Amino acid sequence: MKRFMRWVATMAVIAAVAAVFVSGTAGAAKNKTTKLSGTITVSAAASLTEAFTKMGADFQKANPGTTVSFNFAASSALVQQIQGGAPADVFASADGANMQKLVSGGQVTTEPTVFAANALTIVVKPGNPKKIKSLADLANVGTISLCADTVPCGKYAQQALTTAGVTIPTDKITKGADVKATLAAVSTGDADAAIVYLTDAKAAGTAVQAVKIPAWLNVYAIYPIAPIASSTNADLADAWVKYTVSPAGQKTLQSYGFLAPPLQ
Amino acid sequence: MLDAQVQVRIGELPIDVVLTAADGETVAVLGPNGAGKTTLLRTLAGLAALDGGHVTVDGVVLDDPARGVYVVPERRSVGVMFQEYLLFPHLSVLENVAFPLRSRGVGRAEARRRASEWLARVGLGDRAPAKPADLSGGQRQRVALARALVAEPAMLLLDEPLAALDVGTRTELRRDLRTHLASFPGVRVLVTHDLLDAVALADRLVVLEGGRVAQEGPVAEVTARPRSRYVAELVGTNLLRGDAHDHTVTLTTGGTVVTADAADGDVYVAIPPHAVSLHRQRPEGSARNVWHGTVQGADLLGDRVRIHVLGDVSLVAEVTAAAVADLGLHDGVEVWATVKATELTTYPA
Amino acid sequence: MTRRRGRGAPLVAVFLAFVAVVFFTLPLIGLLGKVEWGSLWDNLTSQQAKDAIRLSVECSLWATAISLVFGVPLAYVLARVPFPGKAFVRALVVLPMVLPPVVGGVALLLAFGRTNGVVGPWIYDTFGWQFTFSKSGVVLAETFVAMPFLVITVEAGLRTMDRRYEDAAATLGANRWTVFRRVTVPLIAPSLFAGAALAWARALGEFGATITFAGNIQGRTQTTPLAVYLLLENQQQVAIALSLLLLTVSITVLVLLRDRWFGNVRSA
Repeated sequence: MKRFMRWVATMAVIAAVAAVFVSGTAGAAKNKTTKLSGTITVSAAASLTEAFTKMGADFQKANPGTTVSFNFAASSALVQQIQGGAPADVFASADGANMQKLVSGGQVTTEPTVFAANALTIVVKPGNPKKIKSLADLANVGTISLCADTVPCGKYAQQALTTAGVTIPTDKITKGADVKATLAAVSTGDADAAIVYLTDAKAAGTAVQAVKIPAWLNVYAIYPIAPIASSTNADLADAWVKYTVSPAGQKTLQSYGFLAPPLQ
Repeated sequence: MLDAQVQVRIGELPIDVVLTAADGETVAVLGPNGAGKTTLLRTLAGLAALDGGHVTVDGVVLDDPARGVYVVPERRSVGVMFQEYLLFPHLSVLENVAFPLRSRGVGRAEARRRASEWLARVGLGDRAPAKPADLSGGQRQRVALARALVAEPAMLLLDEPLAALDVGTRTELRRDLRTHLASFPGVRVLVTHDLLDAVALADRLVVLEGGRVAQEGPVAEVTARPRSRYVAELVGTNLLRGDAHDHTVTLTTGGTVVTADAADGDVYVAIPPHAVSLHRQRPEGSARNVWHGTVQGADLLGDRVRIHVLGDVSLVAEVTAAAVADLGLHDGVEVWATVKATELTTYPA
Repeated sequence: MTRRRGRGAPLVAVFLAFVAVVFFTLPLIGLLGKVEWGSLWDNLTSQQAKDAIRLSVECSLWATAISLVFGVPLAYVLARVPFPGKAFVRALVVLPMVLPPVVGGVALLLAFGRTNGVVGPWIYDTFGWQFTFSKSGVVLAETFVAMPFLVITVEAGLRTMDRRYEDAAATLGANRWTVFRRVTVPLIAPSLFAGAALAWARALGEFGATITFAGNIQGRTQTTPLAVYLLLENQQQVAIALSLLLLTVSITVLVLLRDRWFGNVRSA
């Protein structure tokens, strides 16, 4: 019993010291207004994985003492997390509808900024063995990988298919939980084709081959970004949002294949 | 008819035993634990393979390493009754007895009919649908016997058939078993460490010690003329060894014995404990054998007491409890032990 | 079992055990609290739910059957037949139990994938079979993760059973197959049932390997766990209804197992 009490006391001391430490650093972050510091978590659409990771490194180098961590997933999944109370500081979505959910729900209170745009493309196995040339070909070539219905790229894909008047049989569609998994079904798996963003095709390099969707059938996906109202580091969150629309940030985004945002 | 020379090694113990038995004969293999009795049984059953020698039953070679012959247990015509019976717990009594027949391809109805007959023979006809767990130890033993015999094997092996029973049941079942064995036409080999079982059930005794046959022969002869300390202790008699000249035997341990019958050469002398009388003073009388010794321990057997006497000739004497009290025969007390020459047996070693 | 007098239950252990029980119960209570009981039946009979349930039942039963056919002999060999490298083989058999399921799915893809796999292309060219994006792929993925449970359980049962019964059966004239069929299997029946039930439950709940290897096609490879995952966002009640169904089935199996099939076989 004595040993147990001693262990409890030790744990209590450790907990107290840790609490002081944590609150100290948090307090420190709040007090300093001149220099950026601290940590933020950016929840961003999966298609932003490569671009944001590079931008995060650049931002941290330009602002020593700051840390930007990322949480990449389908925009719809991120909305669920944030509404469930996940501690994100910034949200970057692949469509307006998901951002609207957070605006309606009160998690976002400032006006979102559109910082990038994207479009869809078909990806096939290198060498295009099934000779796919258009959306119409997808209806009878084999198994097609699309994003799940609630994920932005899934909605966009349905939009493009409907515009083109193409129906793919349900038992030939495999649904991915986010755009990266959707692409992986072609690059690593046995799917014959997938509909993903231009940026994903570029990021995948030689693992897949892109087949263009003509502009008049394609969708124009806009990417809004906004800080989360409950963020504990509003200064750093705002700084990140500003960075995405800054010349440096835009340059990086476009180098990864994102399109310039529409004029606000 | 069994003709076997069993050569096999179990751990550190090499076993080399010649065993023969005729149809209708019961041979008991007697020996202390670790003597190799169970291993011997397993090789006869085919559960263990020989290293050398052979096992032949009714002219059929079952195991002969030199000739590369080895018949698996399921193909041997051998019935085994195991020490703990090993009745299949998930089958009914009837199904247990029918099992050997079904395994040999007999149809279910026919197998059950023959099994019922055998159950009736061992007096359990009305317990056919019961499970082994519902039976008493004695009843299980009878089922195990029926199961071993139902397929009419050429040889029956029994591994300590009465060991799993309490003393009261054992006596009754010993009689029953004897009756059932008598009606079995084949060879019977029984393995036991209990002399009573061997004496009651067997015609011949084979005494096994350290993997080898120490003594064998008809039951009466082995018990009357033991040739090893083990059997002597089992039988409960005093066994001495020495060099005989006419009517005197000089014991290997020193001391002399006077015998009634003349003998020459290396002999055993068997002295039953009840023939030994104890005196506090050196006696005068007709007894030709008088030895001096000290009391070293006593065993109580009902109203009889076995006194261990240590001396030139160390003996066990059997006297009444009253005598012990009268004479004050405690540990350390000096006594004179006497034995009439006519009460002891001498036979060549 | 006699009780030791004068001592109560050990308080610290009871308290910690209580915390553990709360830990396991709270998520279940949370789930039950969110169910909309009025629309439960409609949710469970929606097309997507029906497809998912039908697929789950079919594939998990197939996976269990295959696990039995191949797993029992494997357990027998591991328990009874001496051979070199047995420790390695056993580690291999247990591997799917410790591997993250998604990793298992990727591994299956790299082995049986029609375009990239080690043997996949050959199988496709020779037999015309494709496992990815098909029900057979679901069964394959589920068998991969479930069979180890059956093998381990049955092997343990074979090791602990009294082998003298098999000796006895041999002396009574039974050949090895008869011994196995009429003596060994009945004696290990409890571990057979338990192993099959565990394998079935594991197959039913498999997600990572299925979605990675067999894909996510409604009516063909979208088993209940996959459907729950996808429906959670925009058809939450259907997802909750399916979760409740899985939960009920699992609890029923576990309760039945505990009562009837975990008892010891009494020996005579």
